[in-house]
Amino acid sequence: MDLTFVVTNAIIVACIYGLIAVAVSITWSSLGLINLAYGFIFTFAGYGAWMVAEYLTENPFLVAASGIVAGALGGVIVCLTVFIPLHDKPNFTTRGMIATLAISLIGSQAFLIYFGPRPKALPEFFGYWRIEFLGTTLTSDKIGIVFCSILMLLVVVFWMRGSRRGLEIRAMMMNPQAASIVGIGIRSTGIYVMAVTGAMAGLAAILLSQTYYLSPFGGVVPLIKGVSIALLGGLGSVQGAVIAAILLGLVEALTNKFLGGQYVLMTQFLVIIAVLIVRPRGISGLLDKAREQ
Amino acid sequence: MSGSKQNDYVWFNPLTVWGTATGNEKAPSICVPDPQHVWDESRGYKVPTSKVGRFKHYIIWPNHGGRTWNRLRWWPTRRNLLHIKGQYNRRTLAAEKKIMDRRPVYWALCLLIIALGPFFFPASMMNTLMTAGAIFGIFAAINVCWTLVIGTASIFSLATYAVVGTAGFITSWLSIQYGVPWYLLPIIGSGVGLLFGAAIAIPALRLDGFYYALLTLGLNELCRVFFTTSQEFGASSGGLYGASTFVNDNWEPMTQSMVAYYASFGLLVAALFLFRLINGKRLGRILRMAPEKREAFAAACGVDYKRARVTIFIVTSIALGFIGGFYSAQYRGIAFSIFGFETVLLGLAMLAIGGIGKAEGAILGTLIVVFLDQVLLELGPIRNIMIGVLMLSAVLFLNNGYFGIKQQFNAWRDKKRGEWRSSRSEKGGEALPEEATEIADKDELFFRRFDKLQRDYLKGLVTPEIIDEHKTQPLGQHSEALERVLLYFRRARMEDKYALHRAGPEGPYKIIAFSGQRGVSPRLVDDREYGTLDEAYHGVFMRRIHDLMES
Repeated sequence: MDLTFVVTNAIIVACIYGLIAVAVSITWSSLGLINLAYGFIFTFAGYGAWMVAEYLTENPFLVAASGIVAGALGGVIVCLTVFIPLHDKPNFTTRGMIATLAISLIGSQAFLIYFGPRPKALPEFFGYWRIEFLGTTLTSDKIGIVFCSILMLLVVVFWMRGSRRGLEIRAMMMNPQAASIVGIGIRSTGIYVMAVTGAMAGLAAILLSQTYYLSPFGGVVPLIKGVSIALLGGLGSVQGAVIAAILLGLVEALTNKFLGGQYVLMTQFLVIIAVLIVRPRGISGLLDKAREQ
Repeated sequence: MSGSKQNDYVWFNPLTVWGTATGNEKAPSICVPDPQHVWDESRGYKVPTSKVGRFKHYIIWPNHGGRTWNRLRWWPTRRNLLHIKGQYNRRTLAAEKKIMDRRPVYWALCLLIIALGPFFFPASMMNTLMTAGAIFGIFAAINVCWTLVIGTASIFSLATYAVVGTAGFITSWLSIQYGVPWYLLPIIGSGVGLLFGAAIAIPALRLDGFYYALLTLGLNELCRVFFTTSQEFGASSGGLYGASTFVNDNWEPMTQSMVAYYASFGLLVAALFLFRLINGKRLGRILRMAPEKREAFAAACGVDYKRARVTIFIVTSIALGFIGGFYSAQYRGIAFSIFGFETVLLGLAMLAIGGIGKAEGAILGTLIVVFLDQVLLELGPIRNIMIGVLMLSAVLFLNNGYFGIKQQFNAWRDKKRGEWRSSRSEKGGEALPEEATEIADKDELFFRRFDKLQRDYLKGLVTPEIIDEHKTQPLGQHSEALERVLLYFRRARMEDKYALHRAGPEGPYKIIAFSGQRGVSPRLVDDREYGTLDEAYHGVFMRRIHDLMES
């Protein structure tokens, strides 16, 4: 239990929940939708991967890929049921949020009926090797988690920077009305955004399943952690989410070390509230540039 | 007017007899039709109309005696019992009373139904319905308070159940540990609610709506984890039970459930009074002045909306704490499920189904969700899916829940009416009905209408015959058809007219158009040149004919 161990744990937690936080952040800033159905997408992806592992193949790459694809599919489902019918209606933000909550209610009950309450386990993806690094033993799954999530984040960030679709999404973030005037389809962009962010949630589900089991209500905790990180980092800012993820991971690891596990959420929320009182739009959220809708 | 008849007709200039004729001596022309036909055609009302218009259905009571007013008031205020207007019937001249606002009648009826419910429940489902009724009362009270927070104060807090749960757990714990009697539990709960509310009101001052919603969602989870993992609050048993209660164990089971039912009904009525006192009085009116995104305007008018919001938030938190203490006094304790994500979801479902911001919406939504959740127990997890589907469809199709349907339907009907009306109204000089109300000078409207009729009529007179007649002799006496067209042209406004510009001393001529504005010179219409004056006159005539046929 030294500082390196604390920091590595912090980074691992930050990586997984950071993925969901970035997904929440991108969805809010480009679509104006507070998507609280990431818990549903998370579970959907986990069960999708589990079905593939159970009935088709145990190949880790295929299982992981199917989880990511299932996550993207879940995102598209949410987009088709919530964003596309509602995006031009009055009170879109409130109604969108309530609709995503309704989807998570329906989804968790449907999983409960179909898969039963017993938790399920996914196969190990990263093998059983370990290396020594700066005096700490790093197991394979930890390295794999960090590597995969950082890779996914980089891919998404570079795709948003470099591709045509990414340009469209960034235009929507700046000014949705102007973007639609110059010919960017709000609905098609919505589908891309939700597919990509769904894939991120799917990857988070796959990675978290290396540590925890899958269960019908297992999406709630990752959702709440992801939302807290996004809130702390500032909705709409990817680098803010990354900073916030590392900060909250550190707080979690330090609380675990010095106070005990049951105080983790308390210290985290004290930190979040303290930061939000000073900066109401989060660490790197700008007051004026935030999306007004 | 058939074509052959028109061709047969030859016009003779009546002045030739006297030898003073100018213009043509005779010319083939057309008979002038009767303008009455065009008038009747144009002025007929072709739109299908129904006999019944839109009117508000008021309840009208016959009057007793000669008075058309009454003085029944809510003691000790000066408010009238109902908003009633006395009037005399136009046809029969009998005195009658018209109820202008029917909502108190409906409220009284619905509350009466809930109050008398236990006497009409079927005996086979008595137990289930009484339990569900007690739960309905408490949850409806919570949701009415939540409506105050979300609707009136527009603070999107999702920590309502966390306040209730915290107060419930702390009062239960105090009651178990120190033997605090049941009648003190709601009061202690109010104190807990005050502390909790004050603590979470601080971020509410700084944060925007949805940031606050996400934060409170996290706080709810924080409370859940804290209470489920702590030693004192009975981590293992799924809840904390054993508090002092007002429901005596020695009573008959039926009496116990009756007491529980009416106690929670009383709580609901108290919550409704709180809603009325806050939403319908000064605080509510202040905040109706400061809706979202117009806070700056309200602040400029001297409305201290932040203070009003926080006041409501804290008062509501006290009420929620009271409900928490009441809950543990009624059920001898409280379960961890009050903090669950599912509970928040079900609560939001209740609000979303009925309509956020209205007390009646909160109560109807609670009734539906509690009925599905507590009465149809044999359906299993399908219940929650049904609730979710209801919530989703309410949000997808309704702007503001069930009690927003009327407003949404009226808005939709007005939109459709406007579309139909504009699709069937005729254009072409006449004003649209929407436009007509904006034009102050009604002479203008009548002139436009007359002008359109006249143009319609004159279009029928424009034939090759009269054009030829004008070409041979533009000036002088003409046949009646051509003369009518020319008179119309001469009467037009200056900016609709043309003039001739003589390029040299003897021609050629070019057509110019007046601008209609003083000081702005006429513009050249086109480059065509006319050698003689008569050709130029005819050119102007043809241009005017063209304009007439285009309009």
